[in-house]
Amino acid sequence: MAVKDVLIYPDPLLKEVCEPIKVFDESAGQLLQDLVDTMVDAGHSVGVAAPQIGDLRRAVVVDVSTSKLGKKQKNHGLICMVNPEILEREGNTVVREGCMSVPEYTGNVSRAERIVVQFINREGQHQVIRSEDFEAIAIQHELDHLDGKLFLDRVSSLKTDLFRRKK
Amino acid sequence: MHHFALTIIGRDRPGIVSQVTEILFRLGCNIADSSCSILGGQFSMILIISHPEYENRESFGDAFTPLEKGNLSVFLRTLMPGGEKRAELAGELCMISVYGADKPGIVYRVSKELGNRQINITDLNTKLVGDESRPVYVMMIEAMLPEGIEVEEVEVWMEALKKEMGVDISVRSIMAVEL
Repeated sequence: MAVKDVLIYPDPLLKEVCEPIKVFDESAGQLLQDLVDTMVDAGHSVGVAAPQIGDLRRAVVVDVSTSKLGKKQKNHGLICMVNPEILEREGNTVVREGCMSVPEYTGNVSRAERIVVQFINREGQHQVIRSEDFEAIAIQHELDHLDGKLFLDRVSSLKTDLFRRKK
Repeated sequence: MHHFALTIIGRDRPGIVSQVTEILFRLGCNIADSSCSILGGQFSMILIISHPEYENRESFGDAFTPLEKGNLSVFLRTLMPGGEKRAELAGELCMISVYGADKPGIVYRVSKELGNRQINITDLNTKLVGDESRPVYVMMIEAMLPEGIEVEEVEVWMEALKKEMGVDISVRSIMAVEL
């Protein structure tokens, strides 16, 4: 059990590309546990990626089942992912996102509505899941962290842009 | 450090932002929050700026004269200490779209419903669209619903206004999700 500090931009670790975990050993299990503990401790958080706690390995945890929005939708509860990879994306939706590592700022980000993602789970087994709606958005957001991308890199429109005519 | 609100408006053309910010940069000003946009044919800039030494309008001297010569209106307001800090707004952010045939009072009537209930408008945009014979008014409001007020309630108030004013109004929660 260890709740870690969540790094805040401009911490340079948030802009690094993370390394795959080659051997799923005890330290990988420990990392997943730290991510879960940190996510739970953050209260309203629905996911944390390893670089957010200063660990440059490809691991994220997501759990939308306790959030106001997520619990109304189909979800997988707690998902622990090592070396996750999105295999398929479908649909397009715009979400106003915020991030624990970029406080006090939100932006409209375009995300796929439905995804298929493969990863190694907490038991060290390969798993493929189909995810949609809020959970899919959360997964895409957390996976971006593994490539050093913040939602700021994906903002698709200024909020005042909403009804400006496209020419 | 003193903070100032700087407003600049003038006929839109390329180069306004760089001209303004070059002056600020040379003076040694910091730009904190800012919002700049084209409204009608006018480019409007609103900036909260600060300077380590300047205390009032006079400190800026005639720094903005070149802008005024270029037909830009410049207005500078000295903020009271703390005036640069935004109060913590708790609650649920919601978006209200109002649109319909243009008529007087759309902004007033909708904002009054909110203001009467102490609901803070955090962003508001209006635009007149459509052609001259059939002008359509579009307004987007972002408002923070304080604890105890749900989106559904706002919908009920707006439903009444909708009928009365003959406009379309929709209300929805903005999914500002912390991830």
